[in-house]
Amino acid sequence: MLSTLPASDWDRNKAAILLQRAGFGGTPQEVDALAALSPTEAADSLLGPAKFLPPDPPAFLEESSMEEALKAERDKLNSLPDPAKANGKREVAQYLRANQGRQMTELRGWWLKQMAEPARATREKLTLFLHGHFATSFEKVRSPFLLYQQNSLFREKAYGMWSDLVLGVAQDPAMLIYLDGAKSRAEAPNENFARELFELFTLGEGNYTEKDIQESARAFTGWGIGSTSGKKAGLLRGSQPSFKNVPKWHDAGVKTIFGETGNFDGSDVVRLALAQAAAPRWITQKLWRFYAGWPAPEPLLQELVKEWQSLNGQIRPFLMAIWTNPNFYDAVRSADRVKSPTEWLVGLCRQIGRPLPAPVLSSHILNLLGQNLFEPPNVKGWDGGIAWINTASISRRYDYGSWLVEGTQGLQKLSSLNMVKMAAESGLLKMSMPEISPEGMLTTRGPKEMDPAEKQAALEKMKAAVALSPAPVDDITTSEERQSPEKLLASLSTRFLSGETIPADLRTRFQQAAGEKIPYTDAAVRKMILAIVQSPLYQVT
Amino acid sequence: MNNHALKTRREFLRTGLLGGSLSWTLPAFLSRTMQTLHAQADGALIQGVTGRDGNILVVLQLAGGNDGLNTVIPMGNDEYRKARPTLGLTDSSILRIDPQTGLHPSLSGLASAYHDGNLAIVQGVGYPNPNRSHFRSTEIWATGVDSDKSSTSGWIGRYFDNACSGCDASVGIAMASQLPQSFAATTPKGVLYQGGGVAKKKSSKKKGTIARDADTSMMAMDDEEEVGEAGGSIGMLNGPGNLGHLSALDFLERTEMDAKLSQQEISNASSKAKNTVPFPGSRLAQNFAMVSRLIAGGMPTRIYYLSLGGFDTHTQQTDAHSRLLKEMGDAVSAFLADLKAQGNLGRVTLMTFSEFGRRVKENASGGTDHGAAAPLFLAGGGVKAGLLGQMPSLSPNDLFDGDVKYNTDFRSVYATVLEKHLGVKSEPILKKPFPLIRAYG
Repeated sequence: MLSTLPASDWDRNKAAILLQRAGFGGTPQEVDALAALSPTEAADSLLGPAKFLPPDPPAFLEESSMEEALKAERDKLNSLPDPAKANGKREVAQYLRANQGRQMTELRGWWLKQMAEPARATREKLTLFLHGHFATSFEKVRSPFLLYQQNSLFREKAYGMWSDLVLGVAQDPAMLIYLDGAKSRAEAPNENFARELFELFTLGEGNYTEKDIQESARAFTGWGIGSTSGKKAGLLRGSQPSFKNVPKWHDAGVKTIFGETGNFDGSDVVRLALAQAAAPRWITQKLWRFYAGWPAPEPLLQELVKEWQSLNGQIRPFLMAIWTNPNFYDAVRSADRVKSPTEWLVGLCRQIGRPLPAPVLSSHILNLLGQNLFEPPNVKGWDGGIAWINTASISRRYDYGSWLVEGTQGLQKLSSLNMVKMAAESGLLKMSMPEISPEGMLTTRGPKEMDPAEKQAALEKMKAAVALSPAPVDDITTSEERQSPEKLLASLSTRFLSGETIPADLRTRFQQAAGEKIPYTDAAVRKMILAIVQSPLYQVT
Repeated sequence: MNNHALKTRREFLRTGLLGGSLSWTLPAFLSRTMQTLHAQADGALIQGVTGRDGNILVVLQLAGGNDGLNTVIPMGNDEYRKARPTLGLTDSSILRIDPQTGLHPSLSGLASAYHDGNLAIVQGVGYPNPNRSHFRSTEIWATGVDSDKSSTSGWIGRYFDNACSGCDASVGIAMASQLPQSFAATTPKGVLYQGGGVAKKKSSKKKGTIARDADTSMMAMDDEEEVGEAGGSIGMLNGPGNLGHLSALDFLERTEMDAKLSQQEISNASSKAKNTVPFPGSRLAQNFAMVSRLIAGGMPTRIYYLSLGGFDTHTQQTDAHSRLLKEMGDAVSAFLADLKAQGNLGRVTLMTFSEFGRRVKENASGGTDHGAAAPLFLAGGGVKAGLLGQMPSLSPNDLFDGDVKYNTDFRSVYATVLEKHLGVKSEPILKKPFPLIRAYG
């Protein structure tokens, strides 16, 4: 069993580490509140109630479904000769993509907003872990609704039994599309999901055979998604495919998986996989690594496994156990956990007390920092750790740091952005469904055909929405601190660096930024904050 | 630190680092290791392996498992037609290169390179005990070790360690968003260049205005290309999982330093040269255009690494595969033409690879599942054109678990490129001897 940190060892520094790692960081006041509790109370209060209170869903779910209109459109197009038909189909596809792109932007912004809410941060951080673990990409799934639904599954089941989560994912429509389960049939089982279930989701390479995969793929046949026919009308949320168990698709023959023989189905495969000795090692190591930043060495891993087994694979109490374990705060490894781009962005906004940038800008920033939410690079998810860092990403972190701290100075810093694209993704520039006139002429109404004045107005609106004002530093510093370089340095490093000792290198950068003039102006304070944000130390926790 | 003062790492280390004038801003990691680096910098000057006239290897990764059987196709083969009733290509559409063999119809660019004498096709490339996991098999190709072994270094990384120990980080440049594991080295090297749409930017960048041309942008709205900061951005590869004694913070400090050093070097070289032939607009072709400019601009880089994803064609393969091959073939063909016009074609070998081929028998979803051995391409002026290795037998008795068997170990290809093109001994890099293939004259 894991040992627990004695209350006497609990201090402000550890509370700040926990606040950052368990969620997305926060203000010095939040750290103080945590530090006043015992380690167990602190972990428990961060996790919040075990009972799940779902957030309000994103607005696009209430949009009307386009299925019917699209089908009518395609029928009309099919009656046309080429090239009108081909052109028309391209325009319809482009319209669809534009519409989905707008919904994805809204979805990303919606999720980031949940992360930035202090009371939700911990569950959202775990949801982010699960998104990376059960990586599923919009690139293939092409349905904002199904990705929202999968995200909700993670959120809802995050604190419960690991086995429920794995089973839920195996029956999740987005996953069924992403790893081809939806197309797998008894006569030609598709191995994709079975392979990744073992290799990436539950066991790890080397803990199963090719035969186990082939037989499991047979067992999973029958689990697919229902068609959308019959539910075309109405709202988006009612028009999407859902999980369906279809006996005639299922291979009902006998299979041998992990040495056991029977007429197995998908639930059996999940049960058999999770019963393997490799299963608790795999998930406990991944959770430890995500939260602590470094891999648990063998003796610790064995303790994690024992803890996990004694808790029957319940996630919430397991997180309590690792967050109160002394190893979690090992000082030697304290500079080994690199903040993910999402953690960096949400955390920085929380620390300087500014709202998140507009969804379209937040999405852009995260994409260029290497973590485009809902589009992980592949089924392995994001590698994390030092893989977040290369000179492209570090230069960008520094640039975006200056946007968030000093503002975008009019729009000067945003000059590399494609405002038209952003306006379209934000829904300010709309494309309407292509239409076919009785003469067979195709008309699309998009930005190309928009009234120039109307288009200009939309672009101006977009510019206003993405411009960032300088961070409000009045609430961050007192006038007393502004008189004293030492006091200000202490106060800012407490806020931004969880109170660690300040290395000489950073002290130098900081002093350079501060300049000579006392009391420090708002601009000077921002320069000093930026000196911290644009330092290697700020990128780790 | 002033960027303009930092021309190359060597120069910086020689002139700046020990001089003391800049050392007050140096990250702690560097001040601890500058002695070693300084020694290495001197060594590099003596070895001189990164001269501007040295040979260059360009590696193109086809990520996801390219269907080799529909790339280089056996003609008039009954087993092929039986295994591929819907996906099989008809003999009349195939670009014939010899009586029994042809290329996918989308590969006209490569077919002409073949006829020009600049393309070798190595058939049946793989390794013993093939692994069908994307990640594991990619790792095997990247590390170059037996499929039941593992290694923390990559084969290209070991080339850097062995042959370029004191070179600038930019001895290897990857034009990819994913870090190639093959670059992992004891002393990490390699620079990441994420250029974005180079050609597109040129046409749409208007100084002082934010709105780009609305119509072209709208057309490209779903284009995967992201608009990067001006001039793209540079990244240091990290040698994944091979940090050794370094903490993440040490690594961050070093990366920050490398960012400042490499930025100028690359933008200098790329701005010096122009492409002489038109390149297609795809991201891959634009990356090739950039590589071509860097070569023309005199970068001392020995290894360029590019990748094209999307080859995991489990479902509805026909159109997707055709599009991918066209994107690859057209990009490579423009690249070769540009190099030829520069007079650099003889210095460059392009090598393609994919983590595996695909199952011989097509599946019920109009696609193919993970397979084993597959052909790869070697292109360049020094390459001896022709068909190497053998087309693997498709007869069911000759298959292993439904996949073709390899007859050429991929490390024989690596060894040949290392010895015959890069001019280094392959055994210290590949850790054992491999027979060479006859890919060079």
